[in-house]
Amino acid sequence: MSGRELFAALHLLDRQLVDRDGRLCGNVDDLELTESVEGNVYVTAILSGPGALWYRLGRKRLGRWLRTHTAMAMPPEHGDDPVRIPMRRVTGIGSAVTLAAHRYELANNAAEIWVRDHIIGHIPGSRHSADE
Amino acid sequence: VKKVFALFLGVLTAIGGFVDIGDLVANAAVGARFQMNLAWVVVVGVIGIIVYAEMSGRVAAISGRAIFDLVRERLGPRFGLANLLASFFINLLTLTAELAGVAIAISLASGVNYLLLIPVALFLVWVVIWRMPFERMEDVFGLAGLALIVFAVTAWHIGPAWGDVLHDASHPQIPPTENAFTYAYYAIALFGAAMTPYEVFFFSSGAVEEHWTRGDLATNRANVIVGFPLGGALSLSIMVVAALVFAPNDIDVGQLSQVVLPVSAELGKVGLAFAILGIFAATFGAALETALSSGYTIAQYFGWQWGKYVRPREASRFHLVVLIAIVASALWGMSAVDPVKVTEYSIVLSAAALPLTYFPILVIANDAEYMGEDTNGRVLNFVATLYLVLLVAVALATIPLMILTKAGQ
Repeated sequence: MSGRELFAALHLLDRQLVDRDGRLCGNVDDLELTESVEGNVYVTAILSGPGALWYRLGRKRLGRWLRTHTAMAMPPEHGDDPVRIPMRRVTGIGSAVTLAAHRYELANNAAEIWVRDHIIGHIPGSRHSADE
Repeated sequence: VKKVFALFLGVLTAIGGFVDIGDLVANAAVGARFQMNLAWVVVVGVIGIIVYAEMSGRVAAISGRAIFDLVRERLGPRFGLANLLASFFINLLTLTAELAGVAIAISLASGVNYLLLIPVALFLVWVVIWRMPFERMEDVFGLAGLALIVFAVTAWHIGPAWGDVLHDASHPQIPPTENAFTYAYYAIALFGAAMTPYEVFFFSSGAVEEHWTRGDLATNRANVIVGFPLGGALSLSIMVVAALVFAPNDIDVGQLSQVVLPVSAELGKVGLAFAILGIFAATFGAALETALSSGYTIAQYFGWQWGKYVRPREASRFHLVVLIAIVASALWGMSAVDPVKVTEYSIVLSAAALPLTYFPILVIANDAEYMGEDTNGRVLNFVATLYLVLLVAVALATIPLMILTKAGQ
C-alpha cells in the first residue's frame, strides 16, 4: 500500500476542487494524514481555505487563527471543523478533485458568500449570467 | 461564417496582446530608432506565442484547467504565489496603461483631455465585463481591432521599395546611432510584448469560458495560427510606417497620438478615423484581457469560482478582484502617470517573469495524466524547449540591461 499514499499526495495537493454542480470551490491546500494501528499512513481529509494554505506555507499561527475563524463563520450543522473535507466525500481524482458536496457547505467558501451577500449581490445584473 | 467567428478568441487575444498601447508605441518607437533592424524579433515572438498559446489552449480544452491553476499545481504554493504577485502587479501596470490608451483614443476623436476620459474608460470596461457575453466581446473587439489594417494600407500608400524594406529586415544590423545594449534592450521589449503572460492567461481561460473540449482542438490550432501572425503583421506594419516616416526625419516617438500622424498625413480623415477605431478596439481589448486576467490568476491560484460563464453572484470574489483592479488602475492612470512609460516597464518586467508562466505549461502539455493521447509531439517539444531556454536567457538579461541602458535611453 505504500505506493498508493505517495500517489495520493502527489496527485491531490494543489488541485482544483469541484463541487457536485461542477462549480469550482477551492483548492487542495493541505492534507490530513492519519496513521493506522498497523502503521500505515492514510490521507483522511482534504484541508481547504486560507488557514490551511498559510499553515502549509509555514505561517502556522496565522494559519491556525484563520482556520478557527473561518470555521466559526459557518453554521453549526456543518460539524465542528468544516475546513476539513473528509476523503469519503471525494468522488473523483483527475485534473481536478470532485466532491459530493455543495460549495456553500464548505468553510473555504465563507468569504465567497460574504462578498456575494454584501457587495456583488447588490450590483444590478448580478443574478444574470452575461450569456443569458 | 460561424467558423470564422470561432477564430475570434485568437484574434482578440492577439490584437489585445500585440497591438495594445505598449506595442503601438514600442513598434513605432523601434521603427523610428532602428528602422527594420529589429523586425526579426517580432517573428521570433510570434512563433513563440503560437507554440505556447496552442499548448495552453489544448491543455484547457482537454483538462478544463486554465493556466494559473496549473502554475500552482506544478510550481507549488510558494513559487506559485511569487508568480501570482509578479503577474498581478504586471497586469495592473498594463491595465493602467490600457485604460489611459482607451481614454486617449476617445480624446483623439473628441478633443477632450484624456485624463477626464479615464473614468469613462473605467465604466465602459467594467460594464462589458459585467454584462457582455464572452463570445460577443471577442467578436466586437476582435473585428473592430482589424481597423488597424489601415497601417498596412498607409505603408502601401507611401509605396516604398519593398525589396529594400525586406532586405533591411532580413539583414539586421545595429544602427550607428545605437549601441549593442540599447539594441538588446529593445529586442527584449519587443519579445516581451509578443509573449506577455496575460495572453496565455486570457487565452486558456477563454477556452474554458467557451467550454472547449477535445473536439475543439482544431479550432484551438486555427485560432493561434490565424490570430497571432495577424497581430504580428499589424505590429510590423506600424513599425514599417514609423521606419518610413519618422526615421528619416529623426523623430522620436513617445506618445500614442504620434503613432496615428503618418496615417492621417497619407490617408486623410477617413484613414485617421480607422486608426482611432483600431487603437480604441485594441486598447479596449487589452484592457478587458488584463482586467479579466487579474481576476483569473487570483481565482485560479486559490481555487475560487471564476468566469463570465456563471452568474456574477456565483463568482463573487472573482468579480470583486476585477472591479478593484479596474478602479485602482483608473485612479493610478488619473494621477497623470505617463502611460507609455508604464507600459514600457510592464513589458520589460513581464519579460523577466516569463519562464515562471511558460515552464508549467510545457510540463503539463507533456503529462499524459492530464492530456491522454494529446501530449506534445517531439518536434513541438524541441521547439518549445528551445524557446524555454530563450525565455530564461531573456529573463536573466532583462534587469541588467534595463539598468545599463537606463531603460533604453
